[in-house]
Amino acid sequence: MPKQGFQPFMESPLHHFKLDAEAQARRADGRIWCNELPHLGYAVLRGDTAEAGFAQLVQQVTGLALPLQAGAVSQGPQGVLMWTSPDEWLLVSHRQRLADWTAQLDGGFAAQQLFAQTVDSSGGLTLAWLGGTEHITVLRHLGVYDFESIPLGHMVSTVLGKATVQVIRLDGDGVFVLFRRSFADYVWRLLRRAAQPYGFAVCQLEARGDHPLFAQLAAPRPSLILA
Amino acid sequence: MLVITCPYCQEAREEEEFSYAGEAYIARPAVPEEADDATWGDYVFHRKNPRGWHWEQWQHVAGCRKVFAVKRHTVTYEIAGSWTLADGKALYLKEQA
Ligand SMILES: [Zn+2]
Repeated sequence: MPKQGFQPFMESPLHHFKLDAEAQARRADGRIWCNELPHLGYAVLRGDTAEAGFAQLVQQVTGLALPLQAGAVSQGPQGVLMWTSPDEWLLVSHRQRLADWTAQLDGGFAAQQLFAQTVDSSGGLTLAWLGGTEHITVLRHLGVYDFESIPLGHMVSTVLGKATVQVIRLDGDGVFVLFRRSFADYVWRLLRRAAQPYGFAVCQLEARGDHPLFAQLAAPRPSLILA
Repeated sequence: MLVITCPYCQEAREEEEFSYAGEAYIARPAVPEEADDATWGDYVFHRKNPRGWHWEQWQHVAGCRKVFAVKRHTVTYEIAGSWTLADGKALYLKEQA
């Protein structure tokens, strides 16, 4: 294939909202602050916890302990690993690192003949951060779950206005909302609409130190798109 | 609205998160080669549809996406409990015996 004719580039599913142009430094002013964390890497891990090598290999490759408790999230400076089902986990990290990890994991699964696999879902998901004093109230407008009861280091998979989302709480400061690319426009407008009574603002999100998710924001290598 | 406890997520969740997945523990003909058309017809189409306690399957589509067993009363909508399919089957068979 001629290289010049086909030059794909990554585009966030929310690119048409031009969030960067709207983003401002976050203030504690009672408003809802929100923005997307675009272009992260996502992979589904499937495996059997009864096979000793599985959890071991995952820990060895990613540095993250395989969470065994329903809804638990393992965190580290390089990403998060979330329990989504008794035999499924979602790994979120920097896109390039995730690609390296999944290659290593698949190699390890094959070498040890483990009944396990990875599925790269990076193109199908995106993540938003939602904060501000009333951010739980916003979620309550949209979904039936008791969002205030999510413990730190846990996630819940539920529906917001019929769209399946995962709400992840890593610390006391806001939540991360994970949703499908195909529903991104809908979920974003839904959050924005529900936040309207409190005031809504798009905040700047920078690649922050060793935060499990904000640290993964650095731009991925363009070559990865062609891989 | 039903509140169903998912045995995998170990939490009571709203019906909105689940999908109904039909009657539970429908026995497939043990020797398929020898089953006649009437037997296959019953297996595929015939359901108990009781007025009272009903063993049924629900899928936690918005959560862990697992299918599990629920014992629900079709008149009062009361839910006696929910189990993994394996755990529920032991109870179901005991009840049927
Ligand atoms: Zn569940």
